[in-house]
Amino acid sequence: MIRLGTIFWAAVVGVLGFATFAVTYSVQGLEDDLLRVRKQTVVEQQEMRTLEAEWTYLTQPGRLEELNQRFLSLASISPQQLSRTIADIPMRPIEPPPPAVAAVDTTVPAAVAREVKRPAETAATRPAAERPPETETVAVKPAVARAPAKAAAPRSLDELFAQVAGER
Amino acid sequence: MLAAQRLDDDNPCRPRHFKPPPCAPVVPEGPATQLIDACRSRLAVVAFVLTVLFGVVALRDADVVLLPGGAAEASAIHRMHLVAPPPPSRPDIVDRNGALLATTLQSPSLYADPKEILDRAAAAKAIAASLPGLSVAEIYSRLNPAKSFVWVKRHLTPAEQYDVNRLGIPGLDFQPEERRFYPFGDLAAHVVGYCGIDNRGSAGVERGIDDKVQDKSRPVQLSLDARVQFVVHDELKRVISDFSAKGAAGIVMDVRTGEIIALVSLPDFDPNKPFSQAEFAKSANRLANADKAIFNKITVGDYEIGSVFKIFNTAMALDSGVATMTKTYDASHPIHIGRFTIEDYHGKHRWLSVPEIFMYSSNIGSARMAVEAGAARQRDYLARFGLLKPAPLDLDKVSTPHFPSVWHEVNVMTIAFGHGISVSPLQAITGVAAVVNGGILHRPTLLKQAPGTAPPGVRVISAKTSEQMRKLMRLVVEYGTATKAAAPGYVVGGKTGTAEKALGGHYAEKKLLSTFIGAFPMNDPKYALLMMVDEPHGNKQTYGYATAGWTVAPATSRIIQRIAPILGVPPVDENSPQLVQALTIQSLQGKKIESY
Repeated sequence: MIRLGTIFWAAVVGVLGFATFAVTYSVQGLEDDLLRVRKQTVVEQQEMRTLEAEWTYLTQPGRLEELNQRFLSLASISPQQLSRTIADIPMRPIEPPPPAVAAVDTTVPAAVAREVKRPAETAATRPAAERPPETETVAVKPAVARAPAKAAAPRSLDELFAQVAGER
Repeated sequence: MLAAQRLDDDNPCRPRHFKPPPCAPVVPEGPATQLIDACRSRLAVVAFVLTVLFGVVALRDADVVLLPGGAAEASAIHRMHLVAPPPPSRPDIVDRNGALLATTLQSPSLYADPKEILDRAAAAKAIAASLPGLSVAEIYSRLNPAKSFVWVKRHLTPAEQYDVNRLGIPGLDFQPEERRFYPFGDLAAHVVGYCGIDNRGSAGVERGIDDKVQDKSRPVQLSLDARVQFVVHDELKRVISDFSAKGAAGIVMDVRTGEIIALVSLPDFDPNKPFSQAEFAKSANRLANADKAIFNKITVGDYEIGSVFKIFNTAMALDSGVATMTKTYDASHPIHIGRFTIEDYHGKHRWLSVPEIFMYSSNIGSARMAVEAGAARQRDYLARFGLLKPAPLDLDKVSTPHFPSVWHEVNVMTIAFGHGISVSPLQAITGVAAVVNGGILHRPTLLKQAPGTAPPGVRVISAKTSEQMRKLMRLVVEYGTATKAAAPGYVVGGKTGTAEKALGGHYAEKKLLSTFIGAFPMNDPKYALLMMVDEPHGNKQTYGYATAGWTVAPATSRIIQRIAPILGVPPVDENSPQLVQALTIQSLQGKKIESY
């Protein structure tokens, strides 16, 4: 009995001792790695500082202007070119819809066909505010496909974006 | 063991093979028993103490290893950070968009221990090949074998260091040193300043950092925009060469925050090659030039800026209720007071209304307006605009304004049109920003303010007066002395001032200081500008004129057209009915406006 216990505890001590040393050495190894990485980081950081300074030096406005004159000859924007904000630009006028055709489907444009195939629940699950009404009608009532789904002319960019988002 | 066994052996019927069950040794009563009892209790105490101690150690282990946080973790993390690079001794300086204006670079210096170098001649030859700018003879003479430490070259470039390192000559080594580098060179020289050899700031923000910035680990972000700075720098250089002027200065300020977007003072210098004492000693001429170049006209200069002061004078008269837009003053005759005569440059010789006085820049009318307001009121308003105290600028030195200690009537009159008081251009632009922005005076600042925050300001004039002043300043650009400052689409307004410089107690007629102060867009001012040129000479294009309307006003127009897109100011239709309505002075409507 006593011998068995001794052997057991000796084994435990041996294993623990080995484990301790193993952990210690692996931690030391990791710390060495960390130190090396950190030293490398410092070197890289210094290099980045130098490169950043060099980049700034190379992108001085004066130098850029000189390069522009030599290679690009870009002129600065004149107020006339800027005289409209994006909100002022009118939308492309929408062509009037072609006359409704009695015969079903032969004249339906591909775009509309795609619209029709889109599952209705996608549109239905979306919040109502995001849905332009015209795509909704098409999606909810796929049978009404005789006349092409006519997008009402958007009055603003926001509306246009909403429409585009709705069509996708 | 001493224990004697007391066996219950007295049973005669006990079988032979039967042994009584073992039991604890029986200690006979006596001193031995007592001793053993004492030992036991001591053992118990020792066991208890050890258990407690190991328990504490176990708890501590669990605390350190298993539980997060705590001092141990903090100290471990701290130890890890000890390896991180030491922060540079000076913070970087960046502009409002993050472009580097000043940075600290590690630049190695090459030194040698000549005693360790085996073949000095060959070494000198090899080093000279990798370090352009140093001759073989020079290096050889430096490698004096009697010494054990000599500098070969300070501040090598990375490429040079690599080349020298590759030579593999024993006895050569590098000493890392810090060096301040200004990638933009002279572009923002007067704002950024420069560092001396000891790496301490000697001018501008560099000096301010030493005194006022505590946290040196983060870059100092200035309000400056390097692109705008470049445009102003570029155009002012052109003004100097066009009019063979002695110098020029310009400043662009955000009227809503007091942020300085551009600040240029010419002549300037390259902070990468600051002036050394040796250079100063070389020649008196060079010293004088260096002195001029280092002088920041905007913050340290103080000038009698002339008619530009009528902005403050008119604002004072309108805000205090002394004058109204329709009130007229007698400008038909020059005013004689003491030994002075006050005349008009663009004389009309009749009674003029307040807008006309401002538009034609009538000295007589302005003087009469100021006299009517009185010395006390004038002084009060100038103090409100911050013209009697040094500008409260952070991070840089500023000049103290000069004005009469006793305010006589003649002072009141001359100060009305900007003579007899000298202020720094920075003070003037700060005051004008308050006049046009709705009447709130902001501290001028070189530090970027968080976007969207409204810095505290002091109301100096009413919003109504500010609106009237905007109309008046717009009038000057539309019909008055500053028509050449107009930039189509950007609704510029402003006021010119051409002052004769006071030299040795009298005014020198040919030595002018031409100034334009303006703001744009006048319907909702965002930026104020001051452009100033020192001793311009008229040329053919200006028919010999060197006044502000001919020199700095066109430059201002070009500057605004170039910087407005950068600053995101959208151009507007200047002829749109709303705009015309907003900027028209009712009392002048229907009247024919004479050209000046």
